[in-house]
Amino acid sequence: MDIIVCIKRVPQTAEAKVEIESSGKDIVKDRLTFDMNESDMYALEEAVLLKEKFGGTIIAISLSCSDAEDTLRIALAKGADTAIRIKAEDFDELDGYKTAQLLSAVIKDIHFDVIFTGCIATDDAYSQIGATLAELLGIPHATLLTNIEVIDSISHVHRELEGGLQEHIEISIPALFTIQTGINVPRYASLIAIRRAAGKEIKLVGQNEISKDQLLLNTQIEELFIPPVAKQVKIITGSPGEVSKELAGIIREKGLI
Amino acid sequence: MNFDLTNDQKMLQREVRSFAETELAPVAPQIDVSGEFPWDNIKKMAKLGLLGIIVPEKYGGSEFDFVSLAVAIEEISRICASTGVIVAVNNSLVSYPILQFGTEEQKEKYLPPLCSADKLGAMGITEPNAGSDVAAMESTAKLEANHYILNGTKRFITNGGEAGIFVVFAYTDKDLKYKGISAFIIERDTPGFTLGKHEELMGIRATANCELIFEDAKIPKENLLGKEGDGFKICMNTLDVSRIDIGAQAVGISQGALEEAIKYSKERKAFGQLISNFEMIQGMLAEMATQIHAARLLVYYAGYCKDKGIPPRFSKEAAMAKYFAANMAVDVTRKAVQIYGGYGYTKDYAVERLYRDAKILELYEGTSEIHKIVIARELLR
Amino acid sequence: MSEIFMLIEHRQDAIRDISYEMMTCGRALAEKLNTKLTAVFLGYDADKLVESIRDQAHRIMVVNNEVFKEFNAESYQIALAEIIKKENPLLTLIGHTAFGMDLCPALGTQLGIPFTTDCLDVEIIDGKLIATRQMYDGKLNAKIRFRKNPSYLVSLRTGCFPVRDSNIESEIVNIESPISAEPDYRKFVEYIEAAISDVDITKADVVVGVGRGIKKKENLALIEDFASTIGGVVACSRPIVDAEWLPKDRQVGSSGKTVKPKLYIALGISGAFQHVVGMKNSGTIIAINKDQNAPIFNEADYGIVDDLFRVLPTFKNSIIEMKSK
Ligand SMILES: Cc1cc2nc3c(=O)[nH]c(=O)nc-3n(C[C@H](O)[C@H](O)[C@H](O)COP(=O)(O)OP(=O)(O)OC[C@H]3O[C@@H](n4cnc5c(N)ncnc54)[C@H](O)[C@@H]3O)c2cc1C
Ligand SMILES: Cc1cc2nc3c(=O)[nH]c(=O)nc-3n(C[C@H](O)[C@H](O)[C@H](O)COP(=O)(O)OP(=O)(O)OC[C@H]3O[C@@H](n4cnc5c(N)ncnc54)[C@H](O)[C@@H]3O)c2cc1C
Repeated sequence: MDIIVCIKRVPQTAEAKVEIESSGKDIVKDRLTFDMNESDMYALEEAVLLKEKFGGTIIAISLSCSDAEDTLRIALAKGADTAIRIKAEDFDELDGYKTAQLLSAVIKDIHFDVIFTGCIATDDAYSQIGATLAELLGIPHATLLTNIEVIDSISHVHRELEGGLQEHIEISIPALFTIQTGINVPRYASLIAIRRAAGKEIKLVGQNEISKDQLLLNTQIEELFIPPVAKQVKIITGSPGEVSKELAGIIREKGLI
Repeated sequence: MNFDLTNDQKMLQREVRSFAETELAPVAPQIDVSGEFPWDNIKKMAKLGLLGIIVPEKYGGSEFDFVSLAVAIEEISRICASTGVIVAVNNSLVSYPILQFGTEEQKEKYLPPLCSADKLGAMGITEPNAGSDVAAMESTAKLEANHYILNGTKRFITNGGEAGIFVVFAYTDKDLKYKGISAFIIERDTPGFTLGKHEELMGIRATANCELIFEDAKIPKENLLGKEGDGFKICMNTLDVSRIDIGAQAVGISQGALEEAIKYSKERKAFGQLISNFEMIQGMLAEMATQIHAARLLVYYAGYCKDKGIPPRFSKEAAMAKYFAANMAVDVTRKAVQIYGGYGYTKDYAVERLYRDAKILELYEGTSEIHKIVIARELLR
Repeated sequence: MSEIFMLIEHRQDAIRDISYEMMTCGRALAEKLNTKLTAVFLGYDADKLVESIRDQAHRIMVVNNEVFKEFNAESYQIALAEIIKKENPLLTLIGHTAFGMDLCPALGTQLGIPFTTDCLDVEIIDGKLIATRQMYDGKLNAKIRFRKNPSYLVSLRTGCFPVRDSNIESEIVNIESPISAEPDYRKFVEYIEAAISDVDITKADVVVGVGRGIKKKENLALIEDFASTIGGVVACSRPIVDAEWLPKDRQVGSSGKTVKPKLYIALGISGAFQHVVGMKNSGTIIAINKDQNAPIFNEADYGIVDDLFRVLPTFKNSIIEMKSK
């Protein structure tokens, strides 16, 4: 089973202050930490589990700037056999569509049975790379996977729908799947695996290999802005004792319990 | 000159950090209270190769260098000092001397279980009447046929209560003074070897610190480490190396304290503003960060000396790193408590634990006073 | 023709809320542009469902075939591509739901029209489409513009367009299905229903929701204790379920349950939209989060910017005190 996993390195913004850069179109990145996108970690682990079961190879691909080579090496340490970085610095502005085009330009020449991507990248939150890429490659896809089982050339997968409901579908491979968090428990890389991965070369692909002529941007960011406040929250300040009293007072007054 | 971590060191740092934040953080405060030995996590860490960081792959280790060891111990200690010590002892105080001074048979027999944590390591130098003055030890070992008969008591032994493999020092010839000390590899089920008092510690409370009691314990002759009389040299050589680890523990604990203090200073208000607005708080934070940075450079440099084989300087470098980092950690964690005010003195916040954890660094594997003696001796040669 | 099209989403014999939201959005756009809204209904044996939306759009295109009984992105894509190619609408709306995520990007790619996903708002200004999206864990919004084209496709986030009444007399147009069987490379097999739960968080008056901010499983004991003091049940965000600290039936949000208690207390939850859609209609929302910029404060009625573990003990005491009075 030859598997390709698409991996993105994203800023960790859940608990960080996010500021808009002077262009108004990007964020200030220098004080943020970066790591592998959360659902990509699950996608990578799912690939490793399949490889452990069926043998084969895993190729990790990232369209990114050179900083992301650390992230690709982590993928190598966790079970990928080779890593490819498509040089983002060669291709100017990107959106989901152009990203998928670049990925497909590289992947179309590689043999694979399955492609995994995360179901969403936490920075731009498109949830569109997977299905777009599948369409460009002309293979079937399914998004939001919570389970996958491959029997010969048929995969039985569970997709997550809303409200706790799931659907079971059959898809013939080669196919592309986007992986939802919680599908497995991503492993830590062992030190030996890290040492082996550290020495491995990361294959670079750039404008010499991919023609820029056909690349299209579907969308561009016009401006970033702080979301308007939908509902005026009342922030209660004071010591824990004080805020607790006030909250209890509100709960009592409104008869909430 | 290059101050960057290598690719593998950066990756190791990321993985150990993520492991520590996910797996160690939840138990760190609990085992501090209960003193329970964190076996689950030790087993998990063994699987990742953290129990044999510096041991060659052929003996089941990960075959990293000493700077990497420091990076790993730092990341572990940042979250859980107890776990940091346990792992450090297994690596530097036990695996290292066996690797360095053991026979091929000894390495093949003892290193794999130490790396896999099937058997954990502990090291016994200190005795009730011999601490800083190692040569004052009273334990003796006498060769009788195929066995050494060992008598004596070892005190304050980290991992002692849970270990399976011990490196223990005793006199084989008292008359030769320190040149009569020998080192032995002793298994837990050796006849005549029992555990004594379990210590209730101020900090690093989950490290199974225990007394070892040897009463006519029968040690197979082939378990002599090095030659008879090599003990003191093995001991000093090993302590040199483990000083890198202690320094790394200090840097890790302090880094944890600094991060907590920064966070808190941006949440806590006094006199109508965040305490991070007060210059005296800012001053403490700036001092702490600078102190940690300086210590980290000393520690990494000591590791670098060891890796590059710069032995004449190494002993002094390691002593300086340990001495400076230990003092630094006590000061930095004290400041962290100070920034928390009264809350820092309660068990509700990690800094209280970190302050207690830090104090041991000035005491074990040579007190700060002894370190200054070592450094001065090098200077005055 | 510069019409607005939208795809009706239905499942298990019910029209899904997102469809009404999209039709509300679509009608407003159509009105502004002086054009019409067409709802595309792919389904089977669906007179009743079509009937239920008869007053919602100017035109309802019905493709009635067994192949559309259940959602299958590949079959839907084939049919929709035909329709869009033929009708060439200015804008087609799809829900950014589990269905839409599977369908929208592939459809847009096949048609070669500019598309984007997960939009909170769409405007057409001087014939140019501008969409608003959310990025960076909900901390920023972005205005997006599109490559110029006669036809666009976007998927809309759920819960962004409060449903408005409508009384349009819809014209119903039946269309022959271009396919009569699912493609052999993708087949729907069955639904897997959520496991029956012992605690029903949707029935509780007070829900204490916990997120990644509780840091470790062991802290749940503290939360349970607090919840029982305040007479509520413990629910959670998705990462808590992913980490297997709580069962799936306690998860609030788009892929979990929707709750509407009198009081929802969010502890260490950042307020990702997928969580918020599951609790924003609660009577009163209290959020405790140490990050003052956490999006949860855009949803809460009362907010406390502090470490939840600092506040919880005194909060519990205040509740006990209050109850004893
Ligand atoms: C938690 C813990 C874990 C430990 N783990 C281990 C272990 O795994 N293995 C092991 O063998 N030992 C271990 N030890 C022992 C530790 O290494 C000794 O406690 C330490 O070396 C000091 O010895 P001591 O306690 O006997 O102090 P002493 O030697 O009695 O020193 C008392 C004081 O006198 C000072 N002093 C001593 N000599 C001089 C001098 N010449 N000049 C100036 N001042 C001097 C010391 O600095 C100190 O302040 C551990 C101890 C503790 C507390
Ligand atoms: C298709 C899809 C479906 C999804 N469905 C759901 C769903 O149904 N439900 C759901 O919840 N999510 C869902 N998600 C995931 C969602 O996008 C978020 O990732 C998730 O809700 C984040 O959970 P969180 O707020 O607990 O964690 P985080 O975003 O990591 O936030 C943790 C918060 O805790 C705060 N915090 C940390 N420590 C403390 C402390 N000591 N005191 C106070 N505050 C603290 C931090 O400031 C931060 O705001 C879905 C995602 C996708 C892609």
